[in-house]
Amino acid sequence: MLKKFTFPAVLLFLAYALWANADFMEIAAGVALFMFGMLCLEEGFKAFTGGTLETILRKSTDRLWKSLAFGMTSTTVMQSSSLVSLITVSFVSAEMITLAAGIGIIMGANIGTTTGAWLIAGLGLKVDIAAYAMPVLVFGMVFMMQKSKVRKGIGSLMLGFAFLFLGIHFMKEGFEAFQQTFDLTEYAMTGLAGVLVFTLIGMLITVIMQSSHASLLIIITALSAGQVNYENALALAIGANLGSTITIVLGSIASNLGGKRLAASHVLFNVLTAVVAISFITQLGQLVDVLAELLGIREQDYLLKLALFHTLFNLLGVVMLTPFVGKLEAALIRHIRFEAKTTEKPLYLFPEALETPATVVNAVRKEVQHLFDNAFGLLAHGLSLKRATIESDESLADAVKYTRRIIPLDVEDLYEAKIKSLHSDIVAFIGEAQTRESTRTATEELYVLRQASRDIVEAVKGMKHLHNNLSRHGLSSNLAVRERYDQIRLQLAKLLRELRELLKEEPSDVTSLSLDSLKLSLEKASRKMIDDLDEMIRNRRIAPSIATSIMNDENYATEISRSLLDAVHTLIRPAVAAQAEPLSLDEKELQQLMEQDSESSR
Amino acid sequence: MKANKLLERLTRFLDADSKTQLEEIKAIRKVLKELKEKERKLREKLEKKPKRDDADELQIKLDVIYAQRRKGVDRVKALKQQLKTPVEKNEPPTA
Repeated sequence: MLKKFTFPAVLLFLAYALWANADFMEIAAGVALFMFGMLCLEEGFKAFTGGTLETILRKSTDRLWKSLAFGMTSTTVMQSSSLVSLITVSFVSAEMITLAAGIGIIMGANIGTTTGAWLIAGLGLKVDIAAYAMPVLVFGMVFMMQKSKVRKGIGSLMLGFAFLFLGIHFMKEGFEAFQQTFDLTEYAMTGLAGVLVFTLIGMLITVIMQSSHASLLIIITALSAGQVNYENALALAIGANLGSTITIVLGSIASNLGGKRLAASHVLFNVLTAVVAISFITQLGQLVDVLAELLGIREQDYLLKLALFHTLFNLLGVVMLTPFVGKLEAALIRHIRFEAKTTEKPLYLFPEALETPATVVNAVRKEVQHLFDNAFGLLAHGLSLKRATIESDESLADAVKYTRRIIPLDVEDLYEAKIKSLHSDIVAFIGEAQTRESTRTATEELYVLRQASRDIVEAVKGMKHLHNNLSRHGLSSNLAVRERYDQIRLQLAKLLRELRELLKEEPSDVTSLSLDSLKLSLEKASRKMIDDLDEMIRNRRIAPSIATSIMNDENYATEISRSLLDAVHTLIRPAVAAQAEPLSLDEKELQQLMEQDSESSR
Repeated sequence: MKANKLLERLTRFLDADSKTQLEEIKAIRKVLKELKEKERKLREKLEKKPKRDDADELQIKLDVIYAQRRKGVDRVKALKQQLKTPVEKNEPPTA
């Protein structure tokens, strides 16, 4: 209810503020351009994440110092710690890098993000940065209009930097004009209270903007325009660091165990750093003065001194925590675990349902459907597709083709929470029903339903293996490999969509007969894949070792499909009168159809 | 007397069987009708010239329905044959 009104209220408030104050409009436009620039940068880098970034990430995180260096350089280059964190989370959850390596990257990213402050303070506000932005913008657009993915990516990067520069320019202008009408320094506070209040304000700005980079831009431009004093700006910078933690925590709520552990390490790191920075803010200030003198920064150059402070306290956090990364990893694994209380509860299995054989069968059937529904969502995510995409009319081929990242998924956890517990409940319920008086038909039906439940469990188990390999090779930079994995994903996604529709439609005599065409389609796809792979090996387009991996994964996909087909066959069976069964095609007849087809295609 | 009773039982058995066969023919014909309707709808979809992938899928569905209908028609023929020559009723259908 509240959510419904918040957004329009925010829009109205913003519209009024923009209308009432032209200076505020300039500042807000600057922030908007800056954030748009960051989005463009992320988009641009994503164009290169189809394998290259992943390969570098894997190779450069086997030692802690390497992880730190990687986090630092990648964030410096990309000017976005969120993209680095996102990729790190997906790699930790796919168990392709260890949690310790992930923590190292996040710590490195914290240092890397401080380069943003140097960029804004050192370059952005001293040079007429907008003058550089214009030509970059023009060239960026020319690159964007190209067809090649790489050129488009470069264009996106150029536009990103151009918008960042323009954003900084607008903010600077806005704050300078704002200063003539309104003086925020009147609200400056000193002492511990001042530090705490401004830390909180810094946090709030970052939470609202969802970016510590953008907050730093505001802090630095406000400082340059004299709207905040130096001491308060230091506290704001500490707050911005803490605020970015909240953004990551919010993001990790939906992620898996690996993501949660990584977010926890980030919180711990940032909170500890902030506590130390707040406690020793005077001493740190003095240290900044000494270092600034050594580096040749003028005493009155508060902008660069703020950037130096920002770097210094983040560096301090890394130095403090680096020796304990191993212990931190162990503690996180020990304390943040899969919680059994989130396990799925059965929806239809109640003692009352045990009264008659018919109610037992009905309850179990509905529960198996519930289990299928859970498995459906899990399998869709396992294929890195949204459930809604499979349930809609959208083109699955496009959804698969344009997948930019493999959804990080802890299939093992989800299996425990949503599948295994429910399957166990179904088995236990059937066991209980068997101790009571029953009819022969009911006993037989329960037997096949238990088998269907087991089939669903098998399908999810297959996804465990498949998802693991999809995380490794699904977005491979080798086009031949990527295409094969796309083929596997598309085939499974199509099957999921067809099965969903079969279960949804009004049952008729011919519903179960539709499964025959799905079986044939599956066999054909499987054969085509093997033929394609053979040809690729012959033409040396693919290494035999990768080809065998793909064959294994194709096998997993086939097993998943078969299990699902069997389960759905059971679930739609009562709707089908026995008369349709004799028309169903057996293995031999399907094989004949396959052969007919391959002969006609020759 | 014993032989008469046996003969009577046999006649009743044979009648029951032909009744079941007639019911099966009726049921299969109903399924065949539904399959034909489904085939018509699929052909309509195919005529709208969908993308190549979708067209391939539709063709597979049509091929399977054709095979299923042929199987059904053969089964009906076999059952009718059995009705005409009740002695051979226990032999497997020739289709």
